Amino acid sequence: MAKSVYIHIPFCKNICSYCDFCKFLYNEKWVGAYLTALKREIKDRYMDDDISTIYIGGGTPSALSCDEIKRLMEIIKAFKTDNLKEFTFECNLSDINKELLVLLKYYKVNRLSIGIESFNKKNLEFMERSADYKEAKDKIKLCHEYGFNNINIDLMYAIPGETLKDLKKDLDLFMSLNPTHISTYSLIIEEHTKLDNIKAQVIAEELDYEMFELIRKRLKDAHHYEISNFAIKGYESIHNLAYWNNEEYYGFGLGAAGYIDDIRYENTKNLKEYLLGNYVKNKEILGKKEKMDYEIMLGLRKLEGINIKKFKEKYDEDIESVYNLEPLFKNKDLIKKKGFIYINPSKLYVMNEILIKII
Amino acid sequence: MQDVKIRNFSIIAHIDHGKSTLADRILELTGAVSKREMKDQLLDSMDLERERGITIKLNAVRLTYKGYTLNLIDTPGHVDFSYEVSRSLAACEGALLVVDAAQGIEAQTLANLYLAMDNDLTIIPVINKIDLPNADIPKVKQELIEVLGFRDEDIILCSAKTGDGVSDIIEAIINKIPAPVVNSDLPTRALIFDSFFDSYRGVVLLVKVVDGKIKLGDKIKMMATGSVYEVTELGVHTPRIEKLDELESGEVGFIAASIKDISRVAVGDTITLVSNPASMPIKGYKKMLPMVFSGIFPVEPNKYDELKEALNKLKLNDASLSIEPENSVALGFGFRIGFLGLLHMDVIMSRIEREFNINIIATSPSVIYHVTLTNGEIIDVDSPNKMPDKSKISDIAEPYIYTSIITPSEYVGQIMELCQNKRGIYKSMEYIDRTRVNLHYEIPLSEIVYDFYDKLKSISKGYASFDYELCGYKSSNLVKMDILLNGEVVDALSVIVHADFAYTKGRSIVNKLKELIPRQMFQIPIQASIGSKVIARENISAMRKNVLAKCYGGDVSRKRKLLEKQKEGKKRMKVVGSVEVPGEAFLAVLSGDEK
Repeated sequence: MAKSVYIHIPFCKNICSYCDFCKFLYNEKWVGAYLTALKREIKDRYMDDDISTIYIGGGTPSALSCDEIKRLMEIIKAFKTDNLKEFTFECNLSDINKELLVLLKYYKVNRLSIGIESFNKKNLEFMERSADYKEAKDKIKLCHEYGFNNINIDLMYAIPGETLKDLKKDLDLFMSLNPTHISTYSLIIEEHTKLDNIKAQVIAEELDYEMFELIRKRLKDAHHYEISNFAIKGYESIHNLAYWNNEEYYGFGLGAAGYIDDIRYENTKNLKEYLLGNYVKNKEILGKKEKMDYEIMLGLRKLEGINIKKFKEKYDEDIESVYNLEPLFKNKDLIKKKGFIYINPSKLYVMNEILIKII
Repeated sequence: MQDVKIRNFSIIAHIDHGKSTLADRILELTGAVSKREMKDQLLDSMDLERERGITIKLNAVRLTYKGYTLNLIDTPGHVDFSYEVSRSLAACEGALLVVDAAQGIEAQTLANLYLAMDNDLTIIPVINKIDLPNADIPKVKQELIEVLGFRDEDIILCSAKTGDGVSDIIEAIINKIPAPVVNSDLPTRALIFDSFFDSYRGVVLLVKVVDGKIKLGDKIKMMATGSVYEVTELGVHTPRIEKLDELESGEVGFIAASIKDISRVAVGDTITLVSNPASMPIKGYKKMLPMVFSGIFPVEPNKYDELKEALNKLKLNDASLSIEPENSVALGFGFRIGFLGLLHMDVIMSRIEREFNINIIATSPSVIYHVTLTNGEIIDVDSPNKMPDKSKISDIAEPYIYTSIITPSEYVGQIMELCQNKRGIYKSMEYIDRTRVNLHYEIPLSEIVYDFYDKLKSISKGYASFDYELCGYKSSNLVKMDILLNGEVVDALSVIVHADFAYTKGRSIVNKLKELIPRQMFQIPIQASIGSKVIARENISAMRKNVLAKCYGGDVSRKRKLLEKQKEGKKRMKVVGSVEVPGEAFLAVLSGDEK
């Protein structure tokens, strides 16, 4: 049974240079057709599971008009949400206003994720975004006034030209906004993005590492619970933890990915196909070994790591009889303590290297 | 004699000058293969050959045309195989000399032409690719007339691509190439000019019967190796297999005799009959000796047996390969393989990877050094790791080659500089015509096995061509240089270098390794040393970051694929001590620029 739902809204008012998510410039005509198709997809594929987390991401969900958001929320009523714990809506700072907040509140959204990314002028120019500290301060205050106390903000770093000093300044400003959650992203130049087209160069590996360590140091009071996520204790994202706990979830909408009945699938990114009802583009049917590999790959992203007992319950296998972990304990890549196996925190930055040794 | 209606001929051409296409046209025109059956370039049957446009294994095809039997004997087009070329030429009475209308004469063409002339072959000069827009027929004609002494009226113009002139060529083959001398009554002598292994029939020999005849069931004897076999099958390729009862003096065909071991039969050897043996073998037999040696190791140690089997299978078809087990501290168990030359090495390595699907590591190629010990004993050393201690050596001599480098004259300066840098000794220079020269140097073989050919090509923008022959040994001031990773000597990376060049070579190797070895979880020092003296050093800094900072729903499958790709990459790495070294590092070490 899947307990989580991701819904993708592929519309934006502005396209950021680094973004490789599925997105289009906002267009009223398409939004209408898209919501109709989304409604049908949910109707076709949702199997009446009891849903405990919903995440509406994009794109920019807040780019929709109030009427469109209302329509979206009515569609979402199809889900059984008696035990809903977390309902996240992604917004852009500039879209936040009283009207939107009232609407979200009415439909039981209880967590906002705001893509600020940086306040540094050069960074913003590079990303082709805008953000103003005073506006952020005011808008977040407004969110608090309307009862939204669980707020994530996104921070992006390792932007070409960025210095440690720039990042430190951003971190200070971000913390002064008192979010409950910060997601950090080191810039990756993905294929088919504007940055890739203009052949942008990534920053030096050394600096990237120092930035990662700087973030860990500056945010040491927060709970660093996943490799790139920090939260005040109790405000860890339940929805995202479902991904990292390798639990099943629905992904609805253009380009959305999901994991249902041992199948990881990815929806088409072609709007025309999607509107025609040809939702799924790729499917990966998982055997037991693949599932366990995913469990390792995702589970070790959490700083607490993998619960040895739960692993056994889930797969009826001892994790250490499936994977030869002894050499990794020996050279301190991994640590086993109190029933958990986790990556040595001082080696988190080379996590992939360690994963490759395991799977 | 002209009533013998047989013509044995081969085609001499530089790579890419259109030999295979011309062969295809001739097959088509003589009706041996219909257009529909025609896979392009039928004679080159191995994938690898087709891909590289070179012919590795020889073939002999019997064609019939206007009552004549034409035997087309194919020759490999590369310098490494010059002995095989000379043997297949020895089976012919004539040859087509094919020259590209745009490129003119090249070094290898010339080398093979001289081989043909040594064998007293009648040469028919052909200018091919006359349909090319940049064809310069008068210039190439001039070359053929002035340099090689052909007569204008003997030169045939053709385009194998369009088919133009191909029938003129066939007429010339019939009218100008002499028929083989037929001596049916003499004791049997047949020349082996090629062999290949067939899993059902064993070793199949391609032969030309010079004297007498060979019949099915005959007991035959190899005159050089002394082995005796009974003929189980004989016939010709048309190119399909056509079995016959006998092959007679003047004829070309194949013989199978349940021969299991290719090393018992040698190209160039003479077959005679046990019942009535000839007294003298056919002239020209030489045992083929490998010139270049390299260690070949499986990347995954548990593939040793598979590698062994693969090498043995390749050896079935290739008597020139020498195989000996070798053990390296760094690379584990593998083999020291002797090759005829670098192309030969390259071909064998690709075949192991491609046909047998084994990832291998090759160590940098070495030549055979003649080492005189202080006690007066002389030993052959084919690997840096077999080099005795310095204190026990009184002299090291290394093999030299004599080059023919044909190049447009504007590149002469740079090519001479290259040869000088490769410790070459200038011998002479001849003008082929007003714009092209033939440069002769003596260069240590060890200097050309790495990157000489690539550099020559790049300096001359691809126009220079190169051929060489071994010309003896000379004493040199050579030393063994070791490479250390993380403080440990990696035996597979040791090289023998000239003392005067050791410092620059050491720097270049260390830099190249720094480039090729990826960052790892700790810092790795790389050092080059002679004895205990470190002459170059670099550090590979520790890996700093390898993590996907962001990973949400949609990224999950992609991330797993990414990890799998990275893992796949690791499979090509060899763990040496605690350092992961990519396979190509062992070979690419010496291709770096010596700055």
